[in-house]
This record gives sequence, structure tokens and C-alpha cells, in this order.
Amino acid sequence: MIRSLIRYLKGYVKIRVEGYSPERFLNMCCFHHILIWGLYPADGSYELYMQLSGFRRIRPFVRKTHTKVTVLERFGFPFFLARYRRRKLFFGGLLLCIFLIYGYSLFIWDIHFEGNERWTDETLTEFLASEGVAPGMLKRTVDCPEIVKEIRTAYNDIVWVSASIDGSRLKIQIKENDDTFRKDTVSSGTGSSGTASSDGQNPEEIETAGEGDATDLIASSDGTITEIITRSGVPQVHAGDQVKAGDILVLGRIEVKNDSGEVIGYQYQHSDADIYADTQMEYSDSVPLTEPEKTYDGKKRFQFFFRFFGWTASVGTVRNSFENCEIYTKEIQMKAGENFYLPFSFGFKEARSYTAEERTCTQEELQKKLSLNFRRFCEDLEEKGIHIRGNSVKIHIGENSADASGTIYLNERITREADTEILTIERKEPDEPVGTDD
Amino acid sequence: MEREQFREKLASAASMPKDVVLGAAVTTILGRNEVCIENYRGIIEYTDTLIRVAVKGSQIRLTGKRLQVEYYTNDEMKITGKICTLEFADGRNDD
Repeated sequence: MIRSLIRYLKGYVKIRVEGYSPERFLNMCCFHHILIWGLYPADGSYELYMQLSGFRRIRPFVRKTHTKVTVLERFGFPFFLARYRRRKLFFGGLLLCIFLIYGYSLFIWDIHFEGNERWTDETLTEFLASEGVAPGMLKRTVDCPEIVKEIRTAYNDIVWVSASIDGSRLKIQIKENDDTFRKDTVSSGTGSSGTASSDGQNPEEIETAGEGDATDLIASSDGTITEIITRSGVPQVHAGDQVKAGDILVLGRIEVKNDSGEVIGYQYQHSDADIYADTQMEYSDSVPLTEPEKTYDGKKRFQFFFRFFGWTASVGTVRNSFENCEIYTKEIQMKAGENFYLPFSFGFKEARSYTAEERTCTQEELQKKLSLNFRRFCEDLEEKGIHIRGNSVKIHIGENSADASGTIYLNERITREADTEILTIERKEPDEPVGTDD
Repeated sequence: MEREQFREKLASAASMPKDVVLGAAVTTILGRNEVCIENYRGIIEYTDTLIRVAVKGSQIRLTGKRLQVEYYTNDEMKITGKICTLEFADGRNDD
């Protein structure tokens, strides 16, 4: 295979050798290291294949051996080039192709992220674009160490970044700090608000918020302590203790006593502890007995469109006189590679006519809905790192209502930071020396 | 001749390859359709039923049908086709 490819690239000819002593001619070729193959006798002469470079050297041998050499066929790339040498556009195209491939290889066409779970590809792409790193940029202007530095500066919970150029793709490998992620989720989970607020929050801010200030840890809800591990501060409770919301669990104020056991001052610090407690949570949920149901009557209108930058061309319309209709749009943006979006997109809009009716749900459906809601609620809690010990949630389906209610028994972190009360000690005046009145 | 025999003995005693020391032709026959000859001097005659190859001190006569030289280089040649006989003929002009 490789041999025939090399033969093709170098070019070879099929020749006929006839005359006085063709054998001598063959031997001379052989002696001068000219490769011959496919030798075959034909009517008192020989037909054989010979490399082009060898063919150029055989003239003296032909003369010496009084033979006659006729070229029968020509094969290979040099002959191909010679045959099409007049096709200037073809060669122009070939050159252009090589030039374009070289030209395009000077740019970054794709940014690939690996190892990111918390920060999505889109967020990181946007961030890089704001720093001037985007698909389509020149490869030599990419400064990998700078990119790494920028990502590390902007995202504190990304603990390791590596940027490398792999062909025309910028590969960014990331290692996120799983611990920060978990801690952050739990702390946001124990608060009353959702997790949305914590997403944008910088983990460093959480850590530095209490620094310098003395803080206690107080109970965020009622419960029974099951586990307490104190890292700093003075624990005020033990495992098994009942606590109420607002009780101090770890005190950030340490008493400094003198030799006689009197408190002479306080040291303040930022309390830190893992405290888990068995808690309870009331759960209630209700679903309506009826649900709106759409019946599609099959009337549809389509509009196909093509978008290029801000300019849109479309065929058809979705304008209609339907009583109720929903519009369904599907748009596909063209992209090269993974993240390099091109300014073309196409898609279609579809208007579907429907009639809306209220439908009464069956008992089974209601039960399924309530169970599903409850399961999702539990999954959310588990995601926040809260352990569910059990529940006594029951589903009641009456004639007028369908609801689920009961208590969920949890085991969760119940700490919340609060400022430590700053106490000052009134310095006692040293006793006056007892005077002698007499 | 004595000189040849002496050389052969010497080659045997020193366990040296005879094709190198004596310049003997190495003929490899593979099945019935392939013959490989190394260390030869040159082709004397070639038709599709007979090939005569000069080797040192003798010649090889190969008869058969549809004989074809697959390749032909300075040190090795390969012949394919249906082979009937292979014989050694003494001398260059013995035919």
C-alpha cells in the first residue's frame, strides 16, 4: 500500500524493451540500482514497469545494448500535474485551499471547558468574552497564564485552572472547590429565602463577613442536639439538649480569669462549629381539584424564518383569528464547534388553536400530584444537605379539596451567626489603704 | 576447484554463511508458484516458459508456464508462475 503510494507520487512508466540484447539491458538497469517490476516477455521483447527517476538514466544503456525502448503508459502524480498544467483555476483553488487552511488555523475557533459543574459553560464563555477571549480571536494573542489568572481572580471557588491551546481549540480545565459549594448551599438552605440569592454571592464574602467581629452561633430553629463539633468558641449545649430558636449554642466570648477565679476580661472571637439537631417541619400542600385542559382542534399556522444578524426573512404568518391559541417557536442557532455561535439562525413559529376546558381530576391523579410535590420537596431538602429521618405526612382528598399535610422529621445544621454581646468589666478600685485615725 | 573446496571447508569450519563467503545463490521456492533468487549475476534468457539466471559458477534453469518476474533488483528477483523444473546447469555456455 505504502509502496504503491510512493510509486504513484514519484511517477512510473510502463516500457517495452526490444532489440539485440534486452537481457543485458535488464542486467545493466539492475546493476545501476534502477528498480524494475512487473517484467513480462511479449513477442520477443520485454514489457516492464520502471520508476521515472530510473527511466531518465537509461539512455546510455539503450545505446550500449542496441535496444529500443518504447514508453507504453505513464502513471503517477508528476504526469497528473503535467496533464492538468493548463487548468490554472484548479491549481489556484488548491493553493487557496492550502492558504485558507493555514489562515484559519491561526485563529481560536472553539472554547472547551472541562470539570465545571457549578459554573456553566455559558457563564464562563460570557466572562471570557468580557475579558476579550472569544472564538475567532487570533491564536497568538491568547495569553493562557493571563486567562488562568483572570478566572482565579474572578471566581474564588475555582481552586485550579489550566488553559491550553489544542489545535484551534482553547481548552480550559477547571477544578471547583466542592467544600465551598456544599457549605454555601447548606448555609443558604437554612435561611428562609431560596438558593437564588446565594448563587451570586462570593464565598469569600461569607468568610470575611465575620472576621474581626465577634460572633456567636445561635439556633435557627427548635430541636434536639444530636452532634456538636466546636472549632472555636465556647460550646453552651451538649448532644441531647433541647434548644429553642434563638438559643446561644456557641459563645464567641471567652472569659479570662485570674488566679483566684475572677473574671478579669473577655476575649472575643468568630465562633465556628458544626451542630446538627433533630428538628421538625410542618408540611402542607394542596392542589386544585380541577385543572385546565387544552383540546387542540388541529388548526395550525406556520411561519418559517431565517435570521442573519438583526435581519429576518420569513415565509408564512402566524396571525390568526383563533379564539385561543398558543405559539410555539423553535429557533436553531448555527454554531461551529461547541461554543462558537454564528450569526445565522433559522426556525419556525407555529400557532395552534385550542379550546380550554376545566377538567375534574380523578382521585388517583390528585394523589399522584401530591406525592410528586412531596417527593420533590424532600429531594430539595436532601440537596441542601438536610437529612430526613421520617415523616407523618398524610394525603386527604375530600370533595372540595385535596391536600397533604403533616410533619417531617429532619436532622440538619441549625447554626446561625449572631453578634456577640460585648461585656465590659468594671474595674474595681483598689482598696484604699486603711488609715489610722488614731 | 581445490581452491573452491578449501573455501567451502573454511566456511563450514568457521560457521560462516556460505552465500556471503562463497557467493552462493540463495534460492527460495515457495509452493509451486513462487521462486526467489538472491545473489545472482543476471538474466541470460527470459521467456514465459523458461528463465535462465546466471549465478556464480553455474546457471539456474527454471521452466514453467506463465513465468513472470515480479521484481528485479540488484540483489534479489522474484519469479511467479506455474513452476515445473528448477535445475542447475554447469558453465555459462552449457545449454
